[in-house]
Amino acid sequence: GAESQKPPPGKWWTPPFDPRFPNQNQTRNCYQNFLDYHRCQKTMKRRGKSAQPCEYYFRVYHSLCPISWVQRWNDQIKEGTFAGKI
Amino acid sequence: MTHQTHPYHMVNPSPWPLTGAFSALLMTSGLAMWFHFNSTILLSLGMLTNLLTMYQWWRDIVREGTFQGHHTFTVQKGLRYGMILFIISEIFFFAGFFWAFYHSSLAPTPELGGCWPPTGIIPLNPLEVPLLNTAVLLASGVTITWAHHSLMEGDRMSMLQSLLITIMLGIYFTLLQASEYLETPFTISDGVYGSTFFMATGFHGLHVIIGSTFLTICFFRQLNFHFTSSHHFGFEAAAWYWHFVDVVWLFLYVSIYWWGS
Repeated sequence: GAESQKPPPGKWWTPPFDPRFPNQNQTRNCYQNFLDYHRCQKTMKRRGKSAQPCEYYFRVYHSLCPISWVQRWNDQIKEGTFAGKI
Repeated sequence: MTHQTHPYHMVNPSPWPLTGAFSALLMTSGLAMWFHFNSTILLSLGMLTNLLTMYQWWRDIVREGTFQGHHTFTVQKGLRYGMILFIISEIFFFAGFFWAFYHSSLAPTPELGGCWPPTGIIPLNPLEVPLLNTAVLLASGVTITWAHHSLMEGDRMSMLQSLLITIMLGIYFTLLQASEYLETPFTISDGVYGSTFFMATGFHGLHVIIGSTFLTICFFRQLNFHFTSSHHFGFEAAAWYWHFVDVVWLFLYVSIYWWGS
């Protein structure tokens, strides 16, 4: 939701090296963290738990992804046309 | 010196290469006219002249070889090389479409949902009609081998029978595939899945039709006693082409229908 899009409190560091995405093209890194953030939110909410662990994914995809991609994906989620599985 | 002292065929001047080139020009420009200006006159003219060229050029080759005896062993060897090289060029043609398919399906982009088949695409069940199609083409490979052996053994009736069955299997494949095309829940414009599926299977289907036509010509030539048990290169060329079409289908089936689902 809109509330979860507010940046989390605390220090914001550079995303660490992720060995799943070792090469120059980091598209998948951005996309995967975007997906993981939303999946984390959905699961934590469903279990009635705090969404605090999800902040990691939020920080990473906001650091890595071009803002236009994030805006487009959020619009697609709102319209129900987002292709990824959340 | 009143006769040739070499085994090669010095072909008489022929207009068909020129008419063929013109037909190619008419067809390509005709395609552009159709795509952009909604006009089919150039394309129709091109396809007509192309058909006429093929008919007359190949008719002349049959006359030169079968009726006039110009196809010595050496000439036949050259024809064999030619057919093999042509089939190799066709292999490269299909390689492009397979490259496109694997490029898009091995690393599916976020636009597709990061998965293959892409989100929203319902692929065909590989164990239904596509599997039947595989059996049909494999069977046709058996029947054409039967036809070849019959021909080599001088068994005229068996050759005609088995060649006919081969052709009917080819037609059966075409009809099945056409019905599949009408049944698919996706179209060619459904993203890169639709594009790769229909470009690869579409060109394959065209080659099945070409191969079936080639085999049909051989059938009528056999009816008219053109082939001998030791000299029947036209049939062999058709058989090579037919096996090529079968192998392409096997790759299509494994890659697109099975792995790609």
